[in-house]
Amino acid sequence: MSTEQPLLTIDDLGVSFMTGGAGVQAVNGVGMTVYPRQTLAVVGESGSGKSVTALSTLKLIPTPPGRYDSGRILFDGSNLLDFSERQMQRIRGNDIAMIFQEPMTSLNPVYTVGDQILEAIFLHQKVNRARAIDIATESLEAVGIAEPRRRLDEYPHQMSGGMRQRIMIAMALACQPRLLLADEPTTALDVTIQAQILELLRTLQTERDMAIMLITHDLGVVAENADVVAVMYAGRIVEYGTVNDIFETPIHPYTHGLLNSMPALGEGRHRLQTVLDVTPDSSRLPAGYTFTPHEQAPRRPIEQFPILSTLVEGRDNPMVRFLFDTAMRAPLLYELKPQHWVACWREDGYDTEQTIRPDLAFRRESAAVAG
Amino acid sequence: MTTTTADISDAPKLAEKPRRTYMQQVLQDTLTRLGARFGLAWVVVAAALAIFAPFLANSLPLVMKTDQGIAFPLFRYLSAVDLILLVCTFAAIVLLCLRKISARTRWRILFAIGVVITPIAVTTVNPPDLVTAPGWPDKGYHIYRDMDKAGKIEWALYAPIAYSPTDRLRDQTGQRLLPPGAVHWLGTDSNNQDIASRIIHATRIALSIGFVATSIAVVVGVILGGIMGYFAGVIDLLGMRLIEIFQSIPQLLLLLILVATIDDRGPRMLYFMMVIIGLTSWPGYARFTRAEFLKLRKQDFVQAAIACGLSTRSILFRHLLPNGVAPVLVTASFGIASAIFIESTLSFLGLGLQDQPSWGQMLSEAIDAGGFYWWIGTFPGIAIFLTVFAYNLIGEALRDAIDPHTKKAKAL
Repeated sequence: MSTEQPLLTIDDLGVSFMTGGAGVQAVNGVGMTVYPRQTLAVVGESGSGKSVTALSTLKLIPTPPGRYDSGRILFDGSNLLDFSERQMQRIRGNDIAMIFQEPMTSLNPVYTVGDQILEAIFLHQKVNRARAIDIATESLEAVGIAEPRRRLDEYPHQMSGGMRQRIMIAMALACQPRLLLADEPTTALDVTIQAQILELLRTLQTERDMAIMLITHDLGVVAENADVVAVMYAGRIVEYGTVNDIFETPIHPYTHGLLNSMPALGEGRHRLQTVLDVTPDSSRLPAGYTFTPHEQAPRRPIEQFPILSTLVEGRDNPMVRFLFDTAMRAPLLYELKPQHWVACWREDGYDTEQTIRPDLAFRRESAAVAG
Repeated sequence: MTTTTADISDAPKLAEKPRRTYMQQVLQDTLTRLGARFGLAWVVVAAALAIFAPFLANSLPLVMKTDQGIAFPLFRYLSAVDLILLVCTFAAIVLLCLRKISARTRWRILFAIGVVITPIAVTTVNPPDLVTAPGWPDKGYHIYRDMDKAGKIEWALYAPIAYSPTDRLRDQTGQRLLPPGAVHWLGTDSNNQDIASRIIHATRIALSIGFVATSIAVVVGVILGGIMGYFAGVIDLLGMRLIEIFQSIPQLLLLLILVATIDDRGPRMLYFMMVIIGLTSWPGYARFTRAEFLKLRKQDFVQAAIACGLSTRSILFRHLLPNGVAPVLVTASFGIASAIFIESTLSFLGLGLQDQPSWGQMLSEAIDAGGFYWWIGTFPGIAIFLTVFAYNLIGEALRDAIDPHTKKAKAL
């Protein structure tokens, strides 16, 4: 790979929740790498472990019921999972900031916007009040809020959703973080505001050399903003690659499903496709691909799924075999093509290998920013 | 890019709402209610009576002229507590009149003044005791009345009620158990003491015990309840059991037993009562705070605050408390009323203060007087009733203002 140092590396992260006796494995063996000035998009359906991965990075998972089972989260070379709560407080907001999905409820209703931004500034920077107000005003200006000085004295309920999300971003940026975790930052906003916010994030990213981990289930957002994409399913990364590779030559059936479920503009359709509808096209997939629709019980023997017949035939085939239903057997990420990792498991008994953390320093040309 | 977004946020807002925080809104809603206004009016009157009690009812002249010149005997005999109250009140009034100061700075200045003045007043001000004055009967409350009679005073200005609460009128005869009249507005009791004066001076005890005891309970309850609600889990489980244990203790019986063990019947007794009432009535506040914090801890802004790197203490008390304190205020205003009740009950049972008058103690005097002297019991009874009623009205109005379901019922 490159000689560049990654900002954040997550290695074999496992997080589980103890709920009512039975543990739920929310994240299982997840690995990823984020470089400065890179946008890593984590996509997947609800419950696939996207948010848990992001929250783990800031150690925001309440323990109990949550538990970090395995892995390391290296930020700047030090393992955040070994950090004490006090050490984490210094990292949070200062080095790694986070913005949340719901701008309407992410601001404290009893304080003015200024109070809340100033609090974040005072927490991490040794400045006097006048300087802090300047910083706050600058960051509000940076996120495109008119009359920033006056807005500082306003309460969150006096602002619209888009404004509040800008405030949240301004608050996150006030301390110049090196990594921004954006957990579905535009989901609660309408489309025009969504575009503005994303453009804003892109601009700020190039201005400040900030890395962004963008968590979303909106593939349109991913296509426009991400450099590297990690597709997650059932707590695992199933495909990892540059945005071009993922969108143009997806390998994993689940990624196929995700992409095909996206309606195209001008396409006349009575029903939208769901991920489940997307059966693998055996003519396009190499022999040995499996695709188990995930609404079916995973405990049933593989032969009972008619869809898997090709697979069963190919059992003797020493080829790499893909498993879609990750609950059945733990797949590992393999670099099938250069810079393109796909989760699969092998029939030839090499399963016991360690997971390889995908590592991609790719950044797309910043032409989109100029436009 | 910045220009387009700026244009959008520049668009005129349809309705410019007045800037009000949630608490301001609640307080304003409360104050529009008639009941709250009556309640608050009485509490303000009672507070004024309490603060200015020495100037409203006192046997000593405010100003007098003798052959030695003009003297201010009343000021010589002001106690440390009187002085602290007066200085703080005037400081508060001055601070309120000063513009351009934020509420927070006002509170800070007031607090600083209180902190500075209290030790100074306590150590330097030490007025002679007039009740059990050495050299009695030559000294005591009647020295100035004696001087007046002897013609040594050219002129003197007295307080509206010219009798101190503990002035037993040793220089006069026939003052025992007088019904309300022109001299003693609300009559006298079996110790020749003026009832109006005693009621005014007792206001101080009633209000202070209400406020201090409830403050102790609120502080303890909010801290414990907040911790329980925020951390939940095992801490919550243990805390709730602790609350159940405390709630199963009969408060009045515990108080009776504890108070009976104290020999001191002076101010120390009062402080003791405040602490005991406070330490036994916190579970209610803890429960309310716990419920609120359990609800709030999952809110997004709490998550955002943690992600910002705020410390747990700051999240608990700066971010959660202002959002969850409203129901506690309601309970607190009822709590003040019940603390006043408890003090009255204890004093009525003869376990309260001895030298200083309190309303409950005056009620018990009505019984001890041995006969039907209606004025001894009625007036302190009315005072207790009005004060408790006032706090209940305020609590009721606060609850209505906080609870959206009852918001329509604006009448009372």
